[in-house]
Amino acid sequence: MTLKELFISPFSYGFMQRGLVSALLLSISGGLLGSILVLRRLSLMGDALSHSVLPGMAIAWLIFGPSPVALFIGALIAGLLTALGSAALSRLTKVKEDAAFGSLFIVFFGAGVALLSRLPVRINLENFLFGSILSVSPSDIKLSLSVSALTVAVFIVARRGILLETFDPLFHRATGGKGGFIHALLLILTVLNLVAGMQTMGVVLSLGLFLLPAVTAYLWCETFLKLLLTACTLALISSFSGILISYYTGIASGACIVLCLGAIFIISVIFSPTHGVLSKLIETAKQQRSVNHSLD
Amino acid sequence: MSDAHNIIRFREVGVRYGAHTALRDLSLDIPCGSINAILGPNGAGKSTFLKACLGWLPLSHGEIRIGDKHLEHALPRLAYLPQRQTIDWDFPITVRRVVEQGRYPRLKPWQKFQASDHNAVNHALDELGIMSLADRPISQLSAGQQQRVFLARALAQGADIFLLDEPFTGLDATATEELAHILRSWEVQGRTVLAAVHDFDLAKKAFGRGILLANKLIASGPILSVLTEANIESAYKTPRLLETDPLKHARSASFPS
Repeated sequence: MTLKELFISPFSYGFMQRGLVSALLLSISGGLLGSILVLRRLSLMGDALSHSVLPGMAIAWLIFGPSPVALFIGALIAGLLTALGSAALSRLTKVKEDAAFGSLFIVFFGAGVALLSRLPVRINLENFLFGSILSVSPSDIKLSLSVSALTVAVFIVARRGILLETFDPLFHRATGGKGGFIHALLLILTVLNLVAGMQTMGVVLSLGLFLLPAVTAYLWCETFLKLLLTACTLALISSFSGILISYYTGIASGACIVLCLGAIFIISVIFSPTHGVLSKLIETAKQQRSVNHSLD
Repeated sequence: MSDAHNIIRFREVGVRYGAHTALRDLSLDIPCGSINAILGPNGAGKSTFLKACLGWLPLSHGEIRIGDKHLEHALPRLAYLPQRQTIDWDFPITVRRVVEQGRYPRLKPWQKFQASDHNAVNHALDELGIMSLADRPISQLSAGQQQRVFLARALAQGADIFLLDEPFTGLDATATEELAHILRSWEVQGRTVLAAVHDFDLAKKAFGRGILLANKLIASGPILSVLTEANIESAYKTPRLLETDPLKHARSASFPS
């Protein structure tokens, strides 16, 4: 088997091409968005959002059928309700924001599962959770393209606002910045990307495409731009190799991509020169050697 | 005081959070080019005072004027330094990029940095003596260096009024001395500083003027005339030392036999 046969020929199939293009497009926007989520400590919010969009999509399906636009709007409304609802809960009651988020999203997810089981048309819950590369249609590609382009455009236009709001929200506000607007923008982009990633990777696993490259890049990079670029590159590489592995092994594509990302993450956790486990252990060992305990 | 130029003027200012009155009936003038310590017990309204200057809080009463303009038109003149602890110092960013943030408010989204922006950044880095650190990631800085990066960013803003929220918190003796020195040099250059401070001795050493708060104005003016025993007692209500006789507990202590 030549290299060409190994790497190129799987993509002679239309569905493989579509799956790859969709995954690569979302790798770029996911890498950008994930970096911000990680830096703002909103990783778990992303996780919660990925589950809570289910009932919105189920209701949209029920009313409008399987139109991507309707599904997206349904998901967005459910996502916003969770985010705003938990913000409101934490301000009006004693419940802290993380607990409010955790409780709301699981209720939403439960409602979604309940709705799905009552739907006249059978939707495969497995598809929602894990996606299927076979089901990426040309219109899904259009959705991925628009979402990815929009995300990149927002990051270019609002780059300074996003950086300030992430690094120092108080300073941002003091210089006349609109923090709430940036926050809402990121929330909407997250939901958009989750929905766009649903067909290829499933909603839950497409979050992996955001967070894992970003966390991994965080272990290696000391500047903001490098972090963003590294995260995108890692996502692109893993998407490509994940889809290939999925082709040869028959394992679900989303799982393969996430496992590739996971492998790079674990290697980074161990070997990163400044923040890795290994360098920490060596550092500690050195320190212990420098202290001499004696009994006198 | 018949000073010709007061850069900030509070007139009967009141701020309320719901039923709680944070500041009431506050009238005071801050002369241009003065270095002011804002003092008072916890919850006395020190942060509220700074936030009111920034226009973040709706005033329930009165008005604040900055220069001869109303507060809302004066944002570019104000530089605000949040507490150092509110920042994630592991954030992947270099010193220069942080100082450059001071120029962001002047730029439209599509505008690139101009020569004047680069000059302002270099000048700020230079003035605070952190030019050699410019390309270091901020995670490698000491507390004192972190504080200077913040000051440099404020300088790069081109502001002439500086609002510092507890700038001395967490600094060691050397860094404290350095910051005090920087503030004194700013006074000479005619910059106006308002800083929330906890430590009286530090306030007496580093600041020319003081504003003592306890949800209302207790005293303001030259620092030594503000920090009198009587003023402190009325701001802090409780006497400063619970027990004036330091040996009392030693005498009454019981030792295991």
